[in-house]
Amino acid sequence: MKIFKRIALYGVLAVAALTFIYPFLWMAAATFKPRAEFGSLSLFSANATFDNYRTMWERAPFGRALLNSMLVAGTITMSVLVFGSITAYAMARLRFRGSPWLNAATMGVLLIPGQLTLIPMYTLIVQVGLIDTYAALILPYLFNATAILMMRQFFLQIPQSLIDSARMDGMGEMRILFTIFWPLSKPVLSIVAIFTFMGSWNEVLWPLLVVREQHLMTLPQLLTVFSLGGGAGSVGVMLAASMVLVIPVVIAYAILQRNFIESMAGSGVKG
Amino acid sequence: MPSVHFEHVTKRFGATTVVDDFNLDVEDGELLVLVGGSGSGKTTILRMLAGLEEVTEGKIRIDETDVTSLPPRARDVAMVFQDYGLYPHMTVRENLSLGLRLRKVATTEIDRRVTWAADMLRLEPLLDRKPKQLSGGQQQRVAMGRAMVREPLVFLFDEPLSNLDAGLRAQMRIEIGGLQRRLKTTTVYVTHDQVEAMTLGDRIVVLADGKIQQIGRPIDLYRAPVNLFVAGFVGTPPMNFVTGLVASQNGSISFAAEGLNFALLEKRMPSAMPTGAVTMGIRPEDMEVDVIDNGAGPATDSVQGRVVLVERLGGTSHIHFDAGPHRLLAAVQNERLPAVGDAISVRMHSERIHLFVDDERVSSVS
Repeated sequence: MKIFKRIALYGVLAVAALTFIYPFLWMAAATFKPRAEFGSLSLFSANATFDNYRTMWERAPFGRALLNSMLVAGTITMSVLVFGSITAYAMARLRFRGSPWLNAATMGVLLIPGQLTLIPMYTLIVQVGLIDTYAALILPYLFNATAILMMRQFFLQIPQSLIDSARMDGMGEMRILFTIFWPLSKPVLSIVAIFTFMGSWNEVLWPLLVVREQHLMTLPQLLTVFSLGGGAGSVGVMLAASMVLVIPVVIAYAILQRNFIESMAGSGVKG
Repeated sequence: MPSVHFEHVTKRFGATTVVDDFNLDVEDGELLVLVGGSGSGKTTILRMLAGLEEVTEGKIRIDETDVTSLPPRARDVAMVFQDYGLYPHMTVRENLSLGLRLRKVATTEIDRRVTWAADMLRLEPLLDRKPKQLSGGQQQRVAMGRAMVREPLVFLFDEPLSNLDAGLRAQMRIEIGGLQRRLKTTTVYVTHDQVEAMTLGDRIVVLADGKIQQIGRPIDLYRAPVNLFVAGFVGTPPMNFVTGLVASQNGSISFAAEGLNFALLEKRMPSAMPTGAVTMGIRPEDMEVDVIDNGAGPATDSVQGRVVLVERLGGTSHIHFDAGPHRLLAAVQNERLPAVGDAISVRMHSERIHLFVDDERVSSVS
């Protein structure tokens, strides 16, 4: 009886898992199919081809867009980690005038929806003449309040005696942060890194507003312009472009997966 | 080795004064213990000396150098923390050597010192392990090693044994004492455990509410406590206290309290004998217990009581007894012990009796 229950349970789980993963697998498979086979739900094709990728690469500068996306998302992620952890360290572990206000202000930032600041931010970028630059894509995202608060919370739990020991050993605050706190904060740093990277990597609206030059476009932006503008010509090409967009995130997730799940469980943050 | 001087040091957190006008000289090579209950300010004093806490008022000197406003790294002191403060992501070797590497000490010299400390503290087999893979006692030794390799001017210990179990604590206490005597480094040691203080300290400073209650050799604190706090704090089991009156009768002087009356040795008492209300204090080991035989009256220097509890600790036994409304404790070496409920006669060694008026000790003999 027990074994049947178990088989039934795994059966249901397998079906549920399949409903999640199948569309993705189909998308991956479809990028290798010729146009005539798109009607089929099969994952295999007798006439597999790289044509869709070739066409995509020829019609728009996807290579350049990939590099742009990496540059933008990478810079933003590094900045959020470095500057964010410096701020979080100060908020969590240093006594200074106005520290409660800084906490409240950071919390306050979370209450303002991004859409509300979109227009003022755009106006600002136009005013300072940064339209059609990488700076326009990167500058507004260098700090992130959620990341700061998450890191602050984690830093609060690191024992004071480690900071004291480090100070006695002769370290300054920066060195304490990067040689003691960072190695001990891998879970929170990974989750912040992956959220920031994914958020930035998938961002479409802001790049559409501030970048019009094709050679500066990020991958999702170019993909949107390419698909909506009819440049793709076929579903296969569109899906191939989507694959290029998805793969780096999947790779990043695979690398950071263990820390990611650990800290999701630990932080009480729902994905 | 240098001396350490606190000059009118005060520490306030907001409106709360944690340490109040603290003055102390720690001599060259001395092991000085700061002891007191929680909130007595002992850890704050140590942290101010380490540079981890700012001094609100006053001055701290190490030898002739005023270190009051120097950061920890510029003071050349090393500290062992209560929870050891070992870097969890580094091996024992890295933990030991980090402070030296940051001070740009030559690699060969770092190796020499790490080997020396590891040898002294029996850490060689553990050098490549992470702190998590060590027992509490081993972590404690690594923490000490880390302080030793620095070869600092002053060692600071902040309740280093309080996370260890009783057996290990006794063993580590002996090791710390031995180590300090060998290295002869000036040491300030903070603890709430008076046994640790008594066994380790060359001198002890008893603190309460941020103020020094008494400074002295362990035996001085035990024999001649200056006030009720020190008398009650130093010694295990603690001193018995009874409030009563000193009265002169027929040329002899006696102490009288409800249900308790015995003669005091006149010649031992100071010329200006306190009159009126006093607190009498006597240590449990300064009493002798006898089971009352039928018909035998009590001696003049004895009190009568009834046994309520007998704790047999092996060599020594603790007899809790009621004398009138007072619950007292005697520590005896007797082979034959009274049973619960027995009437006993307890002789007070009057030369060991302490009398306190308004919290201050006015008399005892030693």
